[in-house]
Amino acid sequence: MRLLKITLCFGLVWTMTSCYSVRFQVENGQWEPKDTEGGDPYYSGYYVRTVQKKVVFKKLTTGADYFNISDCESGALHTVEYRNTFGGILLNLVTFGGRKKVNVKYVCIKENSM
Amino acid sequence: MATTKIDNRTRWDTLHKNGPFPLKLFLTTKLEKNSSGLSGFEKYKDVAVEIQKLIQQAADSNEQFRAIGSKWSMSNIAHCKDRMHYNSYMNLKFPIFEGEMHQDSNYEHSNLFWFQCGNQIKEISLFLERRGKSLKTSGASNGQTIAGCISTGVHGSTIDVGSVQDYVVGLNLITGPNPEDNIYLERKSRPALRDTYVQNLNARVIRDDETFNAALVGLGSMGFIHGVVLEAENLFLLHRYVKKIDKAKALQLANTLDFSNYDPEIPGTDFRGVRPFHYKVFMNPYNTDEEKYAVEFIYKMKYYEDYKTDFGNPIPFQKEFVYLDLLYLFIKIAEKFPKSIPKLINLLKSSILPKEEKTTVGKLSEIFWDTGFQGKAFACSFGVDHTHSSKALELLAKLTREHPVPGIFAMRFIKKSEATMAFSKFPFTCMVEIDGIQWSDKEKIIGLKEYSKKLIGVLKDNDIPFTIHWGKNADWEFPGLVEHMYGNEVKKWKKIRNKLLTIPMQDVFSNAFLDSTKLSEPLAADEDLIV
Ligand SMILES: Cc1cc2nc3c(=O)[nH]c(=O)nc-3n(C[C@H](O)[C@H](O)[C@H](O)COP(=O)(O)OP(=O)(O)OC[C@H]3O[C@@H](n4cnc5c(N)ncnc54)[C@H](O)[C@@H]3O)c2cc1C
Repeated sequence: MRLLKITLCFGLVWTMTSCYSVRFQVENGQWEPKDTEGGDPYYSGYYVRTVQKKVVFKKLTTGADYFNISDCESGALHTVEYRNTFGGILLNLVTFGGRKKVNVKYVCIKENSM
Repeated sequence: MATTKIDNRTRWDTLHKNGPFPLKLFLTTKLEKNSSGLSGFEKYKDVAVEIQKLIQQAADSNEQFRAIGSKWSMSNIAHCKDRMHYNSYMNLKFPIFEGEMHQDSNYEHSNLFWFQCGNQIKEISLFLERRGKSLKTSGASNGQTIAGCISTGVHGSTIDVGSVQDYVVGLNLITGPNPEDNIYLERKSRPALRDTYVQNLNARVIRDDETFNAALVGLGSMGFIHGVVLEAENLFLLHRYVKKIDKAKALQLANTLDFSNYDPEIPGTDFRGVRPFHYKVFMNPYNTDEEKYAVEFIYKMKYYEDYKTDFGNPIPFQKEFVYLDLLYLFIKIAEKFPKSIPKLINLLKSSILPKEEKTTVGKLSEIFWDTGFQGKAFACSFGVDHTHSSKALELLAKLTREHPVPGIFAMRFIKKSEATMAFSKFPFTCMVEIDGIQWSDKEKIIGLKEYSKKLIGVLKDNDIPFTIHWGKNADWEFPGLVEHMYGNEVKKWKKIRNKLLTIPMQDVFSNAFLDSTKLSEPLAADEDLIV
């Protein structure tokens, strides 16, 4: 019983610490602006879009497929943020790696800015 | 055809949440798509027609219409209660060619560019850099639109350059719904573009120094700025270094701007006796024991391609710099302290501004980089003659100790502007600024309006002539404030507004800010003759 508790605790700490977000940003581009109110203050004034498909299958996480981004009118990306959440890790565990929950946000380059 | 999306709204707010303010309609205009095959010029003319249609609609509904940029102003200057127009997608850019220059122009055509109003400082810089050019100066950061910048008079601390509006050489204004309301303004004394070029854009040319200077810092109220022609220069590098120097020396340099005998002792350089491109002093008003002030020195250097090999890429370092701008510095200091505002202020008394002492070298756009904080903030900024800078700082800091608010001070310096209503009206204006975070009534400290009223009062009581940054927080209802600051220039500005805008159009392009400052009141007919 004690061992189970310790394992569970370790498991919980491991899954919690596995939550992270990574942000990629180009330095020589103008982000697309928007008149925003509320939301993440970091992105205040940015036109932030999110990837609709949140639960993804193995194909996508093994590099055999890709997220298709078709709504950047400039055809270019300024910021991509990938966030791995607690729920995502749990889902991955429960489905033995078959499914994953991902949160991807992105900001396009402003059209006509180049 | 350009299209406008019209959203019903009940409120609107600035980037730093200085509102909210009530609003009816929020308008966003997008240019005709690139796939339409229209040329840049055709798209520009097409969207001008769309803007005129929107102005007509506002007038027909007896409503106000106000263009906004990136909503970085913290005063309510960008707000109007009825129809606010978001310009950011109007970002066409045109280089000027030799054959497009006015025959009497002294400008170098390769330095001139026509930018549509919604171009942001960062994108303008990137566009210019690809052509080996640079803006002459910017604010501490790069997110504002070009029209937003000139409408309030955005400045950095470039002692001998001036503010953003000071390198604008032409203005395309839409002052009403009729074809003749599409005008292009230049100084008669410094023409830039030939008439046929301007007429191709369906604009009517007016060359007049007084009109141009009044429209330059137009407070969003001289019509819709559709485009600006600005003068850039060849790319240059900036060498930036922040160090702590003796208080007395920092203030003496501020009061005199005489660097001829001064050696900043920056490692690996010899800037002895060199007048810096930019000089800025940071100060914590609560710690009176500190013997030194943090001072930012920036020197101009010749551009060369592989500067990054010698000095590294400045961008990744930007995130480590605490002296990015005043507000960011304050946030960096405050984040170590408790959330309670009175406790934070108390701790500031023993807080020493951090040491930085790192060299960065980069282009203007790399030194004045993306802003680091977008939360709730306030900023008050007073312009005084630089010879009064230490006195003004002392008075404002003392008052702040008596009525503490969560913020810290800086001083920046700007060359005089020719714009009639520019706050940089002294030969060299020192902007004494306090930036910080907002607080609530529950904190039991002085309210922002009351605080700002006291700041105005203390400068008046001590006979220090001053101005206030149009885009910053102030008690804008302070009786006779604008006349006190600008004297007869107010009448000149109103006279030109009368000349450019019909009375119904003056109402369309007014707002609560203009009412509080009494600038929306037209000149009496006899005054118009006297000015
Ligand atoms: C993070 C931050 C840093 C700042 N740093 C500095 C600094 O270093 N130096 C400095 O001087 N200021 C600074 N400010 C203040 C700010 O730069 C100015 O208030 C500036 O005017 C904001 O530009 P904007 O594009 O956001 O315009 P807005 O704030 O949206 O509008 C400003 C004015 O411009 C008018 N306007 C905009 N577009 C048009 C148009 N097309 N036609 C007619 N009128 C128009 C608006 O009606 C309004 O009156 C800073 C503000 C912030 C939030």
